[in-house]
Amino acid sequence: MARWSLRRPSFWQIVFVIILGAGLYSTVIRFTGGLGASTALSDAFPWGLWVGFDVLCGVALAAGGFTLSAVVYIFNIERFRPIIRPTILTAFLGYVLVLVALLFDLGRPYRIWHPLVMWNPRSVMFEVAWCVMLYTTVLALEFSPMVFERLRLERPLRILHALTVPLVILGVILSTLHQSSLGSLYLIVPEKLHPLWYSPLLPVFFFISAIALGCAMTIFESFVSARAFRKRLEIDLLADLGKVSVVALAVYLVLKIQDLAGRGVLHRALEPTYEGRMFLAEMLLGVIGPILLLSLRRIRMDHFGLFVSAVLIVLGFIMNRLNVSITGMEASSGVSYFPSWTELSVTLMIVALGFALFGVAAKYLPVFPEMARLPASAPTEPPAVAALRRPWIGTTPLVLLLGGLFFVGAMGSAYSGLRYRERALAAAPPHEEEEPEIAEGLERFEIPPDVTFPQGEASPGPVTFRHASHLNWERPDCTSCHHEPFRILKGFGSTAPSSSRDWHDERHCGRCHDGRTSFSVKEDCTACHRP
Amino acid sequence: MGGKMGLLFDATLCIGCGACYEACKERNGLPRTVAHFLEDRLSDRTYTVVKKRGGRFVRQLCMHCEVPTCVSVCPVGAFEKTAAGPVIYHEARCIGCRYCMLACPFGIPKYEWGKILPRVRKCDLCADRVAAGRPTACAEVCPTGATKFGDRQALIEEARARLRAHPQKYVPRIYGLEEVGGTSVLLLSDVPFERLGYRTDLRPEPLPLLTWQVLQKIPNFVVVGSVLLGGIWWITNRRREVRLREREEQEARRLSASESQEGP
Repeated sequence: MARWSLRRPSFWQIVFVIILGAGLYSTVIRFTGGLGASTALSDAFPWGLWVGFDVLCGVALAAGGFTLSAVVYIFNIERFRPIIRPTILTAFLGYVLVLVALLFDLGRPYRIWHPLVMWNPRSVMFEVAWCVMLYTTVLALEFSPMVFERLRLERPLRILHALTVPLVILGVILSTLHQSSLGSLYLIVPEKLHPLWYSPLLPVFFFISAIALGCAMTIFESFVSARAFRKRLEIDLLADLGKVSVVALAVYLVLKIQDLAGRGVLHRALEPTYEGRMFLAEMLLGVIGPILLLSLRRIRMDHFGLFVSAVLIVLGFIMNRLNVSITGMEASSGVSYFPSWTELSVTLMIVALGFALFGVAAKYLPVFPEMARLPASAPTEPPAVAALRRPWIGTTPLVLLLGGLFFVGAMGSAYSGLRYRERALAAAPPHEEEEPEIAEGLERFEIPPDVTFPQGEASPGPVTFRHASHLNWERPDCTSCHHEPFRILKGFGSTAPSSSRDWHDERHCGRCHDGRTSFSVKEDCTACHRP
Repeated sequence: MGGKMGLLFDATLCIGCGACYEACKERNGLPRTVAHFLEDRLSDRTYTVVKKRGGRFVRQLCMHCEVPTCVSVCPVGAFEKTAAGPVIYHEARCIGCRYCMLACPFGIPKYEWGKILPRVRKCDLCADRVAAGRPTACAEVCPTGATKFGDRQALIEEARARLRAHPQKYVPRIYGLEEVGGTSVLLLSDVPFERLGYRTDLRPEPLPLLTWQVLQKIPNFVVVGSVLLGGIWWITNRRREVRLREREEQEARRLSASESQEGP
C-alpha cells in the first residue's frame, strides 16, 4: 500500500510539491537579493501581502483556540471539549507560521529578538512583538500535552494539567491584546488610511472579527479533517459555533454602521469608488451573507450549508485585512500595489506548510482523541411526517442560491471597484508645473566669495575664481559645478584650492572651458591667470 | 540649556539653485542619483530635494517633529528625538519592520530596498554639526537665506515678524508650528501649503497620542481581565463541584436508605 502511494502521488501531493518548489525558489531570491528584488514593496508602500495576509490573517487563526479554550476551561461548557485540540493545534501552527512570515518580511530577520531587550512600551509594534513571543510560548505549552501523551510522559503531563487554567487565562488575555493590537497598529495613520476603515474602534473591530473567524476556521478545518481522516462530524457543536459566529458578526455589523455613521462617512460605502466597492464586497461576503445564511437553522444544521457559510466568513475576513492593509492605504500612498510572484509564492508556501503540518500532527498525535467510530443512527420518522416537513426548496439548492448570490455580488462589487480605480488612474491629468517665481530670492542672493588658487610651479600666475562671472543670473544653478570634485561645503574633502593639482582637466575647469561652452583652457592663459 | 534647534524655510526666497541638495549629498557622502537635481525624489540616497510646486521652489526633508511618530512606533527604539532637536536613527537596533515608514505623516523615512542588510535612511538635521554648534549643511550653503538654521523659538519669532511685516504677501500661517504637535522644521509660503505638496489636513495633536490612549489601558486590562476570568472559572468550577458532591450525597443517601430497608 505504502509503495503504491509512493509511485502514484495524489493530486494534492503534486500541488504541494509545486508550491513548495516555487516557494523555496522565492526564498532564495528573498535572502540573496533583498526585499527590493523579491517584493513589489516601495518607499511609498512599505507593507504588503506578507503583513496584510501572512501576519494579520495568520494571527487570527489562533482566535478559535482562545475562544474555545475559554468556553471549555473557564466557562466549563464541557460539550465543546472534543473539538478543542484541533483548534489549539491550528492556533499554534498559525503563530509558528506568522513567525516564519516575519522572518521573510523583516529587513533584518536575525534581529527578531531585539524587542526582548530593547524596549519601547509606547510602540504598538512592541506590544505585538511581545504578544507573539508570549502567546507562541503559551500555545506551545497548551499544545505539548498532545506530544507528551503520544510519548507517554506522565510527569510533564501532570504538571501541565495543574497549569491548565492559569495558562488558558493568560492565553485569553494575550490573545485579546494581540488580536486588537493588530488593529491598533493602524491607529497611527488617521490621514493615510481610508475613512471606511480608519476608526478609533479599529482594535475592537479586529478583535470581534477575529472571534467570528476563529469559529469559522474551526468549522472549516473540522470539515476538512473529517474528510481527510474519515472522522465523524460533530455537527451539533459546529452549528453552535456557527451561532457564536453570527452573534460576533452581528455585533460587528451594528458597531461598524454606528461607527461609520458617527464619523459621517457612511455614505462613502455606497460611493462608486474603488474603496467603496471593495468595502461593500467585504461586508457582503464576510458579514451580511454569513449572518443571513447561518441565521437559518436549516442551513446551520446542514453540512453543506455550514461549510459554505464558514468559507464565506473566512474569505470576507481575509478581504477585510487586505482592505485595511492594502486597499485603504493605496490612495494616500499615491501608488498602486500588487504583490510580486515571489511574495505570492512565499505566502502560498507558508499556507501549504500549515496544511501539511496540521495533517502530520493529526496523523501522529492524539489531536482527535474522543472520536466515535460511527455516527449514531438517527431515529427515523414515518415518510408521511417527513414529507410534511419537507421545505419548498431543498437545503442544498438554497445554500447554493444564497451563498452564490452573496459571493457573486461581492465579486461583482470588487470587480467594479477595480474598474473605477482603472478609470481614476487613466483620468489623472499629466503633472505639469509652472516655472517658479524667484525674483524676491534673487534680490537677496549673496554672491559666494571669490576663491584664489595659488600659483603653481609652471604657472603663469595665480587664478582668482569669481562666482559672479560664473553664474546664470536668471536661474542660478549651483549644481552645475558643485558636483564632485568642486565641493560646496567648507572644510570638507580635498577642495581647498591648491597649486599641486592640475585644474585644467575635463573634470574641473575644463568641463566648461572646452572651447564650446566657453573659451578653452588651452587658449589665452592670461584670461584666468593674472600675474 | 540652548533650546531646540531647527530650520526655517521660506518658499518666497528659494531660487531653486540646488545648493542645499548638493551640500546634503556631500555631508552624508551620498552618490549621484539623477541627471538634474530637480528630477530627484527622496530615497535611501537622497535626504532632501527641491521641487517645483505651485509656482514656487520648495524643499522636502525630515520635519524633525517635536513628538515624532517614528520615535513612538519603533518597537526597538531605533529612533530618538535628541534634546538639540534632530530626530536620529540608531541603525544597530533596527529590525527592519518599516512601521516608521508606514506611520510617518510626512512620508520621510526611506529604505535600502536593494540591500541584503537594509537600513532606514533620512535627514538627521546634521546632528553632529548641530552638536558642535554649527548650522546644518543645507543652511550653511543657502545663498538667499531661504533655509535658515537657528533656535526653534527664535525662528518662530522671526517667522512671526516676517508675517507681520508682509501680511499681504504670506499665507498667514507658520507650517510646522502646530502640525502633529509641532516640528523643528518650519515653513513660510505665499502660496497655499497644499499646493507646495504639504498636507494641511494634519491634526494639531501628536499622532502618538492615538496609540498611547489604547496602550496605556493594557496594565489595567491584564489585571482586571485575569481577575474576571479567574472569577468566572472559580464560579463555574465551584458549581460543578457542588453538583458532583450533591450527586454523590444523593447516591450515598439512596445507598444508606436501601441498606436501612434491608437491615433489620
